[in-house]
This record gives sequence, C-alpha cells and structure tokens, in this order.
Amino acid sequence: MIALVGTFILYPIARAIYSSFFQKSLLRPEEAQFAGLANYAEIWGSPTIHQVLWNTFVWVTVGSGVAIVAGFMMGWLMYEKLPYASVASAIILIPWVLPRVVGASIWAFMFSGSQGIINELLVTLGLTQEYIVMLGSTDVSLWPPIVGMIWRLAPLFALLTLTSFQGINDRLYEAARMDGATPWEQFRYITLPLMRYNLAIGFLLMLIYNIRNFSMIWVMTKGGPGVSSTTLPVMIYRQAFVDFNIGMASALSVLLFLVLLVFSYYYIKVYDQVQGETNGN
Amino acid sequence: MATESTDELEEFRTNTSWLYDTTPGAYVRHAFTAASTALVAVFVLGPLYWMVVTAFKTKAEIQRIPPTIVPQDWSIQAFVAVIESSLQAGGYDGFVERTFGVSVSSAIDIDVFGLIVSSLKVSVGAALLAVLFGTMAAYVLSRHDFRGKSVLMSLLLASLMFPGTAIMVPEWELINTLGLFDTHLGLILVYGAMTSPFVVWLMKGHFDDFPGSILDAARMDQCSPFEMFRYVLVPMSVNSIIASFIFAFLLAWNELVFALTLLSNTKYTVPPGLLTFVQGFNTQWNVVAAASIIASIPVLLGLAYIQRYFVQGLTGGAIKG
Repeated sequence: MIALVGTFILYPIARAIYSSFFQKSLLRPEEAQFAGLANYAEIWGSPTIHQVLWNTFVWVTVGSGVAIVAGFMMGWLMYEKLPYASVASAIILIPWVLPRVVGASIWAFMFSGSQGIINELLVTLGLTQEYIVMLGSTDVSLWPPIVGMIWRLAPLFALLTLTSFQGINDRLYEAARMDGATPWEQFRYITLPLMRYNLAIGFLLMLIYNIRNFSMIWVMTKGGPGVSSTTLPVMIYRQAFVDFNIGMASALSVLLFLVLLVFSYYYIKVYDQVQGETNGN
Repeated sequence: MATESTDELEEFRTNTSWLYDTTPGAYVRHAFTAASTALVAVFVLGPLYWMVVTAFKTKAEIQRIPPTIVPQDWSIQAFVAVIESSLQAGGYDGFVERTFGVSVSSAIDIDVFGLIVSSLKVSVGAALLAVLFGTMAAYVLSRHDFRGKSVLMSLLLASLMFPGTAIMVPEWELINTLGLFDTHLGLILVYGAMTSPFVVWLMKGHFDDFPGSILDAARMDQCSPFEMFRYVLVPMSVNSIIASFIFAFLLAWNELVFALTLLSNTKYTVPPGLLTFVQGFNTQWNVVAAASIIASIPVLLGLAYIQRYFVQGLTGGAIKG
C-alpha cells in the first residue's frame, strides 16, 4: 500500500519538481537539457500566465463562494423546511456522483450557441436580444463552466451542512428558547460555533475540488477560445499533451502543487483540531 | 445525532415548523421558502431532466429553435444509434445480421459497450486493489502505534488532495517507463494508488469504532493478529468494505485526466470515450445524452448503496454526525 502510493503518487510529485528544471519535449524526452530556472522565468514573464492565474483565481473564488452560500442555503432548507430530507439528500447527490464528463456534457449542451436552452431562457426573460455563442466568446467563456461547477459542488456542501445541522443536539435549542433567545441569536451563538469546523472543512474541500477541476472546463470549452477559460490544470494539460513541453508543464505543476499544499496544510490542521476535540470529549 | 430526542421534543420541532407558523409575516416567509426550494430544485434537477428528455428526442427535434421543453414525439432513436454504433464498432454487425436478419449501419463509430467493459475492468481492478491494501493498512494504523504514524496519516490525507492534473505529466512518464502505456493495468495501478488513501480513511474510522470487547474475546481464544483480522474484523466490517469498494469504483469510473493521457483511443474508458462524442462541430446531442444515461447507470446503482457513507467518506471521516 505504501509502495503503491509511493510509486504512483509521491514519486511523480518528486519527478515533477525535478523535470521542472529541464527543457524537455514529450516527443524527444531523451534530449532533455538542464535549464535551471528558465521555465519559471518564462512563466513569470509570459503574458498568458497572468490571464490564466486570474482565471484560476476567479474560477476558484466565484465557484467556491457561490457553491458555499448556495449549498448552505440548500442544506438549511433541507433541514428546517423539508419533509423527507433523506430522500432529498439522495437526489441531491446525483450531480456529484454522475460521471464528471456526463455532467459537463449536459451543461455544454445547455449552453451551446444554437440549440441550447440557456440562450432561449435568457431571450425569454428579456435579458438578451439574440443568442450568444457563450462557449466560443472570449468575454464569457469562463462563466458557463463556473455555473456547471457550482451545480456539481453546491449539493455536496449542502450535504455537509445538513449533516452538521443534524449533529447539533436539539436540547441546546430548547434550552436557548427557554432563555428567550431569538432565532437569530440561536443561529449566531449555537449553530455557527458548533458548525465551524465542519464548515471550515467543507470550505477547504470546495477550494481543493475547484482548483483541481479539469473536466468541466475541458469538456465545455477546452480552455478556449484563446486562453479565456484556461485555468492552471487546463494549461498544464495543454503544455504537456498539446504543445509537448514537459519542462514547462512540470514547472506549472509545481506551481499548482504549492497552491494545493497551502490548502492541504490548513485542511489537515483543521482536521487535527476536530480529531482533538472529539477525542478529548 | 438527534437520536436522543424524545417524542415530545420531536413534536415540539414539528409544531414550530413553517406549516404551523402563525406569527406576523408568515406568508412572506412561506412564499420565500417555497420560492427558494423551487429554485434549488430547478437548478439541481433541471439539467438532469434536460439530459433525459434530450435522449428521447429525435434528431430533427433537438435542432429546433426554440427548444421544446417536452419532446413532441418521443423516440428511442438515440438509444438505437448508440447500440448500433456499438455493434458496428465492436465488430458484431455481421453476427447480428446473420442471427436476426437486421442490418446494422451507423454513422457514428463509437463502441459504447466496449467503453463500458473497459471501464468496468479498470474500475473493478482498481477498487479491488484499493480495498485490499487500504483495509490492511487501515487495520495496522488503527490498532498499532508506531513512530511517524501521524506523519503517515497526514501524508495519506495530503495525497488525497493531490491526484489529478498536478501530477499527470510525471505519471505519464512513469507509466511509459514501466511499459504500461495504453494498458488497462497501468490505469488500474494509478487508480488503485489514488483511491486507497480514501479507503484507509473510511476503514480506519470504522476500525477505530470497533468494540474492543469482541477483540478481547478473540484474543482469549488465542487468535493471532492476522486471524483476528481475517476471521473477526473483516466479516464484521462487510458493510464498510463494500462501501469503500463502491467508493473506489466510482472514483475510477469517473476519472478523466489519466484515462485521457494514459490510454490511446482504442482502449478508452467511458469518460474519454464520451468526450469523443461531445467533440466535433455537429454534435448529436440526443446520442450524447443517451450514451451518458447508459454510462451513468452503474453510478446511480452504486449511489443507492453508499449514500449514507458518502459525506463521511468525502471528508475523510471528519464529520461523524
């Protein structure tokens, strides 16, 4: 098990760091040339990378942000207002478990320029006059995959919220009501503090899932047109398997890796705190 | 969990729910709740509905502008197209013609059932690998203390975060060096490695909660640690083991990046295979939808079983309810 993970997860990570210092082509890997920090310098100096990093930032913050707020609302609705919440939670899981390519293709179809339902909806609602080629326009092509990603992630966060709501003992609320706490006070002083670790974990999970995502963008826009919807993972794929530039792709991987490392560090920290609290009690 | 609540408390909660709300402004709140529930339902289920109705539309109808919300003439044309193209691409067209007297010819040349068979092979292999190693590792991690244990657990948790695009290039190099490029074995190993940390976390949580008295009884009966694992823990953990198997299976079933980079199109699994459907200028969306539905069936069956483990597993067992 250690050997398996070591060989197929840890060794490739080390390998990526090593490769990132080389000028290397996928087609002729034996002609690799040591290039020092040249790849990193090129990344730093290239104009596209700024666009890509900005896209990644928008993708992660908007995608996770909306997914978290919407997911929290959904979880709360299911807990407070909905009979048969368990049935709802099974249905709500479907976007998450459906093969990612399937989910992405549905959205690609719905957003498609000529036959898509979204355009029709926008026209019906009077928001636009005519059909927009959304997946092929540099101005908007990042947004359809974000909508798709929110569709996929919000239900997950909703379930996390629902489980943490269910984890709170009803007696606490009963006691608070006896003390004359308003619903808002109950929420502020009981619900939120008790849920904070779960919410923190959910928040980090959203960030990690979001930044890692590749299929939603790749299926819908392939990162284009140009680099208008390219995020870091998509750019790595392009560099490696379209432009065959392994050195560059590896350097970008290291970059992505560092970002993920920060997130994972916090994830593990929060996780340890949760473990500490549950074991302590 | 709310298991401690008595009937009285349960009643108290039901009565304070919005249906019995008579305080001022109740109508506004009711309307708001109903509207947001409807909005959520449309957002979550809308795309799924769209996929299903699209699959049952004819080729002419999907090109209609504006699109029809409910198909005007229901048709299984798209499903037939998927089956025909599978038979043709899989080389069974001659067989079918001889046996049933039906000639098969399809403009699309993608073997969907072949993709499913490849996917099943890879996913089952990876899941078996992950469950086998993951369960044993979880047992050791749960029952023994040793130096560096917490580091190891953190490392496993961290490797859950990393798979995917960040390591696809070196993974490609590695698989190539091992001579496993374009083999299902290579993908099985990669997916096995990717999913086993998941299994470790799921199973470790289970083993940690395992009642110590049963283990003590087994120890009294002179069971060796291995015998204890084999004859006591494993049989009593069948549920969790099946859940982690399905977990690992689903991860492997849905994965796109590695399938795309480590296989050539003759050996494709379902995700890259579906992608080839979507590509192209004149995508036949009803066929894509039909193929998607066929490819989702195993997932939905699995979902029915693992639903209650799902959130727990996703957060590495962090939320115990």
